[in-house]
Formats: sequence, structure tokens, C-alpha cells
Amino acid sequence: MAVSNKKYNAIDLETGKLDSRIFSDQDIYQEELEKIFGRTWLMIGHESLVPNLNDFFHTYMGEDPVILTRDDKGKLHAFMNMCRHRGNRIVQADVGNSKNFMCTYHGWTYSNKGDLEYVPGEEEAYYGALERESFHLIEARVDTYAGIVFANWDPGAPSLEEYLGDARWGLDIFFNRLDCGTEAIGPVKWIEPINWKTAVDNCSDNYHVPTTHLSAILVQGKHFGVPRTTHEQQFESPNKHLFINGHSMTLRFLDRPDQARQTHGVNQDNRAVFEEYYRTTLPEAQRRLGSIRAGQLQLGNHSIFPNGVLGFRLAHPRGPLETEFWHFVVLEKGMPDEIKRALRMGNGNFNGVAGLFEQDDMDNWRGVTRSSLTPLARKYSHDLSMGLGRAGSDPRFPGTVAERYTSENNQRNFYRRWEDFMNAEDWADIPIEPGTVEFEGTATMNG
Amino acid sequence: MTAQTFGDGVSQIELWHELMQFYINEAWLLDDRKFREWLDLFTDDIFYFMPRRMNVGRHDLSRELSEVGDLAIFEDDKTYMTMRVDRLDTGMAWSEDPPSRTRHIVGNLVIEPLPDGDLKARTAFILYRSHHETDENIFAGSREDHLRKEDGRWRIYKRVIVLDSNVILAKNLSVFF
Repeated sequence: MAVSNKKYNAIDLETGKLDSRIFSDQDIYQEELEKIFGRTWLMIGHESLVPNLNDFFHTYMGEDPVILTRDDKGKLHAFMNMCRHRGNRIVQADVGNSKNFMCTYHGWTYSNKGDLEYVPGEEEAYYGALERESFHLIEARVDTYAGIVFANWDPGAPSLEEYLGDARWGLDIFFNRLDCGTEAIGPVKWIEPINWKTAVDNCSDNYHVPTTHLSAILVQGKHFGVPRTTHEQQFESPNKHLFINGHSMTLRFLDRPDQARQTHGVNQDNRAVFEEYYRTTLPEAQRRLGSIRAGQLQLGNHSIFPNGVLGFRLAHPRGPLETEFWHFVVLEKGMPDEIKRALRMGNGNFNGVAGLFEQDDMDNWRGVTRSSLTPLARKYSHDLSMGLGRAGSDPRFPGTVAERYTSENNQRNFYRRWEDFMNAEDWADIPIEPGTVEFEGTATMNG
Repeated sequence: MTAQTFGDGVSQIELWHELMQFYINEAWLLDDRKFREWLDLFTDDIFYFMPRRMNVGRHDLSRELSEVGDLAIFEDDKTYMTMRVDRLDTGMAWSEDPPSRTRHIVGNLVIEPLPDGDLKARTAFILYRSHHETDENIFAGSREDHLRKEDGRWRIYKRVIVLDSNVILAKNLSVFF
């Protein structure tokens, strides 16, 4: 598509000015549902949420309710939760196990492979004229990466592997470390009074941490022995900020391979248990990821375009001014119980709706969201100028790398990626960065 | 009322009255923002737990509440609870600064004796919260406490809070249950 036809120019990459209307405009939001959530690969679940044949897990793609099923052969499907007769939902529960789904309006009944199997009065009322085969549930493409289930409505979209691209190089560090794979626990679900993009944008915002989360940092220091980040550590950190194919990630350097990862739940009492775990699993991780990714780097804050937030956590859009947040915790299946408990409690109590850290985010994001509601306020753009011109390539990493750990480079790029989708007629107009990085080790998309 | 008694000879009605006073006091401590005193109602080995409440079919009600080991809304020990209270005193706990205005209404007390003189107490609650200018939440649910006497007074060593919500209709849970 020619640049001159470009419709949205929300982010000015020269100045970092962002048009705040994208957070609250109803028309823009409707277009997002179609052009972003209708086209991208969306995280919808995790294989561990449907472990048995005929299990289902109810989820969302944008605002569309979706049933993730594992059929009687073990194959995963994602169906729009919509009866093909009158559009009613055919599943009302969050989870369950069933071979069939019956619409409670008129009794149309579908298999968990999506076939319309039974229609009451098919011969009499419909005179045998209903072509049942043409009423298959609306089905999305499904693919998985390291146990995470993604789905996509658009037949023109590239494969999930291409969509993630070199971002997988970084994501593997957390999600694909061991043969045992991961499990997801949760989700805790709640409604935030925010635009969905503010939560994603914030994944790249290392700048807010010492201010927004100061109270949690202080008590974490007092009770867990986690030292408060100094000004120098915050602003001169050697850690890196990468932007790859729409996906953002922070990579932190480890001092040594068995260093306890900087994550919620590690404290002075259990640090040795974590280090023992990383020591024990290091050879396996090195085989799978190579020595750099297994022993020198940690995956920090990250987001997967469009709405994956800090790992496998989801910001489901609910209108421009609301977001249904789903908080999961991902654990390596083989972790000792003590580590699972520490991570579960740490991630549960520091993040999530009651999280000591996260509960301080929502009012700020709401402020960002609502800042464009009046004609006067929307005259003033948001400023994302931090680190302008201070990003480029780094031979050690794929993607665009910001010079500093604290930079708005990823946010600028996130909104640029948003424009890629909003201004494209179809996937032919949406750029995908070709994979360039060599994946050291044996780990693949699945295995 | 017949003098049905527990082990130590205290009548059920006296005990019920004592516990009800305990819960009324707790509600006032919370609504008066005396969180240090509230924290002192819990033993050092407290397990403070709010499971997720799933929306499941009647045949699946055994799955309605998430179990320990799954992700919960709260899974606190005394350290985490103390961190929550300490946080408020830093002056920089933005979700509670300005603070929520709350009203805890507690009732429907049912008590059941446990071995060693401990008690199990179930209560129902409505927690109203008003925040900033117009934010309002109403949380309804039940609590099942295990209590034991320490230094002559009741303290809670296990609290399981069950919210009557699936998707929580609140920006955050920065208040106590």
C-alpha cells in the first residue's frame, strides 16, 4: 500500500508525538477489532488448560467469545462461540469436558470438531432441506508455540512461526527452556477501566517502575531482601530492550548461569533453592538453547503483539475504555513444588488484580486512556520522545535494540506496528521481518 | 435457648456472641483503616486464601473453586499480608492513596467446634468500596475462618474467602477481606 494513502498517523517517529485519540475513539476501536484482532495471531490459551481429550476452555479473540477444544483425537480447535442458527452462545461455562455443544435456544448440537451434528425437526420443520455441512462452527487457524495456543481468523496471515519470527529467540529463554515444557495456571479475570493498548505499551515502560511501584519495591526490600534499584541501575543498566516484528522484550544479563532470575517470589530464604534448580537444569537448557540464551540472559518484561502482556497474560479489549485482563502464571512443569509455590504466590501476590505491584498501575493507565476524551485535551499529544534516534542494530541481538534499558523506543515501535495493521488492506500490506538469527540449540516451536 | 455447650463448658450462644463481637470489631478496624490492629487478628502462621471462582456447569461444580496449587486471587502468608499493610504506610501506595472508603457488613455467622478447642466460623459479607471520585464496587462473598485462642483471645490461622464473582468488576483489589 502506498504511503500516501496512509490513514492513521498516530505516532510521529521523528518527534515521538502520539495522538491520544487512539485510546478512546469508538470508531478507531471498531476498526482495531477487525484489522488487528481479526488478523493477528492471538494467544488464546495453553495446552495445559485442556489436558484431556474432549476438554474445552472458554476464551476470547478480541471481543469474540471462542471455545478452545481438544477433540477426541487430541487435536486443538478454536471456534467462535456462536450458534450458526441465530448466533447464540453454545458454551456458557469457563471450562469443561464435552464431546458436544448444544445451543440452549433451539437445540442445534455441534461436535467438538465443529460439525453441526443434530438439528431438532431437521426432516419435518426444514423438510430435509438444511445443508448441515455448511453450518460448521466458525473456526480459526490454531497453532502452538511451546505449549501456548495461538489462533488466527485470517487465512491470509503468515504462519505463527513467521509471525513470531526472531522474537522467539528471546521468548525461548523463558518459555522453551526445558524438555518438560510449561504449564499455565489461572486465569484471574477482572475488568480494568483502561484502553487495552496502555497495558501492552506499559510492558516496555521500564521508566515507570521506580515511581509507580515504589511502595511495593520498598516492602519487597524490607521483607524479601530485594535491594531497591539505584538511579544508576535504572538509567545506566546494561540490560537491553528489543523490538522484533511487533513484539517487545527486555533481556537482562545474568551474572552467572545459576543466578536466581529476577522474578516475583524469589527472596532471601528461597534464593538458594532457585539457584540449585538453575544449576541442575543448566545442561539441559544449554542443549536446548545454547550457552548464551541458557546461561547469560533472562527474559524480562515483554509483550507479544497485539495484546500479550508480560508472558502469557492477556488484555482482552472491551470497548475503547475497558479491558478484561486475564492473569496467568506460567511454570516449568518439572519445577520442584517449593519453587512452584514461591512463583505462584509471588506472581499472584505481586501481579494480578490484588498484586502489590500491579494494583498501582490501573489508575495511571486509566488516566492515559481518558486523557483524550475532551476536544481540548486531545489537542495535546502524548510525548514518547525518550531515546529518539538512540536505537539500532546490535550484533548480539535480533531486532531493533534501544541503546538504553529505559527508553520509549519500543513504545514508539508498538504504535508504528499498530499503524501497520490499521493502514493495511490485507496481510499483503503488512511487513514481516525475515528471520535472521541463528537459533542455537535443539529447541523448536514445539519440542 | 438450651445450653448446648462446647468442651470447656461455654454455651454455644455465648460463644456465638463472642465471635460475632470479634467480627464486628474486625469490620470496624478495616473501615476505620486500623490495618495494623487488623493484622494482629491473624496468627503468624496464617494462610489467607481467595480462590478463583469458575463459571461451570452444575455437573462440574467440583471445579467451581480453584484449589491450592492453582493460581488464586490471594494466597498470602503473614509476610505477604504484612507487606500489604506496610505498603500503605510508605505514602506511595497509589492504589490506596487517596484511600478507599469501605464498609464491611458481616453476618450469617455459623460456628463449628474443631479438635483442641479451635473453631471454624463461617460468615457472609458485603464489602462496599468507594474510591477516587466515582469508583464504586460491591463485593459479596463468604469467609471460612479457622480460629484458635492465643494469649486468651481468638486469632485466625486460616481464612478462605470466596467471592460471588467470576470476572471481578473492579480495577483492583487493594482492600482487605
